[in-house]
Amino acid sequence: MIADVVAECANGIPAGAYADAGFAHYVFLGAAGPYARSCPLGSERRLNAASQAVPLFSWDEREMAQEWGVRFVGMPDDRPLHASHGEMPAARTASGDGIMRFVVGPVHAGIIESGRFTFSSGGETVVHLDAQLGYGHRGVERALAGTAAVEAAAKVARICGGCSAARSYAYALALEALAGVEPEPEIDLARLIAAELERVYNHLADVAACASGAGYAAGFARGMALKERAMRLCREACGHRLLFDAIAPGGLGRPMLEDRLQFGSELADLERDVAAYLKGLFANASLTSRWERAGVVPPDTLQAFGAVGPAARAGGGSLDLRTFAPYGAYRRIDCAVAGATASDAFARAAVKRDELVESLTLIRRALHELGTAELPPSQFVEPRAGIALTAVEGPRGTEFVAVHADERGVIERLHVISASYRNWPLVARAMENNIVPDFPLVNKSFNLCYACADR
Amino acid sequence: MLRVRGPLNVFRRSIGIRHLVCGSCNGCEHEMNALNNAFYDITQDGWDLVASPRHADVVTVTGPMTEAMQAAARATLDAVPRPRVVVAIGDCATGDGPWQSAPAGAGAGIELGADVLVRGCPPTPDEIRAGLQAAAELLDSARRS
Repeated sequence: MIADVVAECANGIPAGAYADAGFAHYVFLGAAGPYARSCPLGSERRLNAASQAVPLFSWDEREMAQEWGVRFVGMPDDRPLHASHGEMPAARTASGDGIMRFVVGPVHAGIIESGRFTFSSGGETVVHLDAQLGYGHRGVERALAGTAAVEAAAKVARICGGCSAARSYAYALALEALAGVEPEPEIDLARLIAAELERVYNHLADVAACASGAGYAAGFARGMALKERAMRLCREACGHRLLFDAIAPGGLGRPMLEDRLQFGSELADLERDVAAYLKGLFANASLTSRWERAGVVPPDTLQAFGAVGPAARAGGGSLDLRTFAPYGAYRRIDCAVAGATASDAFARAAVKRDELVESLTLIRRALHELGTAELPPSQFVEPRAGIALTAVEGPRGTEFVAVHADERGVIERLHVISASYRNWPLVARAMENNIVPDFPLVNKSFNLCYACADR
Repeated sequence: MLRVRGPLNVFRRSIGIRHLVCGSCNGCEHEMNALNNAFYDITQDGWDLVASPRHADVVTVTGPMTEAMQAAARATLDAVPRPRVVVAIGDCATGDGPWQSAPAGAGAGIELGADVLVRGCPPTPDEIRAGLQAAAELLDSARRS
């Protein structure tokens, strides 16, 4: 059975895996969207580990073993993924002559989510990094099981603050698929605007953080001021600075774009100032030379761990769900996919720079297409029994959600595979052979969430 | 010329803030971070986010509290010198959030005995700022009593 999963990696793009009472579901992406190869667990709940051949399944299988009692044979790393009874499993470290180990976290010196990083270094050079997350594991999937799927939307929007619109979008598409509802074109446009606004404020913070990681305080301050303006634009668009509940099953969860003239004018100002900021930042050679060759992840490592989003596109990848498996208004509005090949901090910052510009263009085009058209009220969504797998392109990459609903429209199983969950193992790889003081830069060049990886 | 009579006490409401994340969605962190941007700039008030609990007067906490953070959260609070004020930021921490029924806790602020509650999902930077102002005043009166 697992042989089929490994063989399927030649046809579809492996995206992750999750378990329920009876099956282990291995998820792949195809041009028609996500699909699963499901392996029955039987009473033994025993399976050969796919992570032996496909490393990207490693975290997923560790989680399935811990949370769903699947007994995998031959796991390369068989530690539990999250803490059990408050105890985090021991970190993996390197040993050898002159190797020292030190731990950072789980509480950090700044406004950063909780996580533990165990470095093994020889002098300044990091030889191994074990990034242990899970300190923010709230058990949201278990908490949502047994609740009405439509009502759960507000909670799904609050699994991760920085990816809220993307997750709400994927969740809305899942429930609409189960209910057989198709959103109106105006709703698609408003959703595109929300999704791209989320990318804009996140990417601005990420680019600013890259400046900060290289010690350029002015670039950080200007970037964060622009991020604030982007968050105010979110509030102007939907009444919420982080777009919570803007997208909801059946349509929108908040009144959106009520003053389009005002929104358009603030958008134009932001577009102009972001362009000037990016131009100045990337023309600063003493800054960009610090980004070059920092945190390189080789393309075969990106492939092996199933990298997604800007991190993958900075290393020769071209997958962007907005063009690979388009949904909503992306089926009509073309979107230019950014790319780079160096796979270093510079490449990741450059991809985000290009995506920022493209996102602002997309918002402007969608706003123009929307014109003065009324946004229709939300449609009634009544999910039928079944399984829906959906994915959208969030700021950090593929945001996948699986919803198993029963005939009453109640969630039996909900699973989230976030872009951050996929990419975290790469941050650790990116640090190998880099100097310890570059960790903030390398880490911020990914700028992954903890909340949507921990859940 | 400025004449100073008696001890200079204009700094008495300046505070060092240590931030503690106990299962937040990161939404409150986005708004906490905004306090340092050019629009809010809390350093103008003599407020600073400090890199050690030993330097802190105020601990801001977010999230519903998770099992994995219990020990680290209490160790952080124990490391903060007295008098100190704990401020719960956001609905999860104040016990009004979406994950109350999760295996997680009843609110990190509730569990850690917060002195100030700032509600909102997430609260705006201005609301957080008002909470910090209340914390600064509590500290001021604690030090004078």
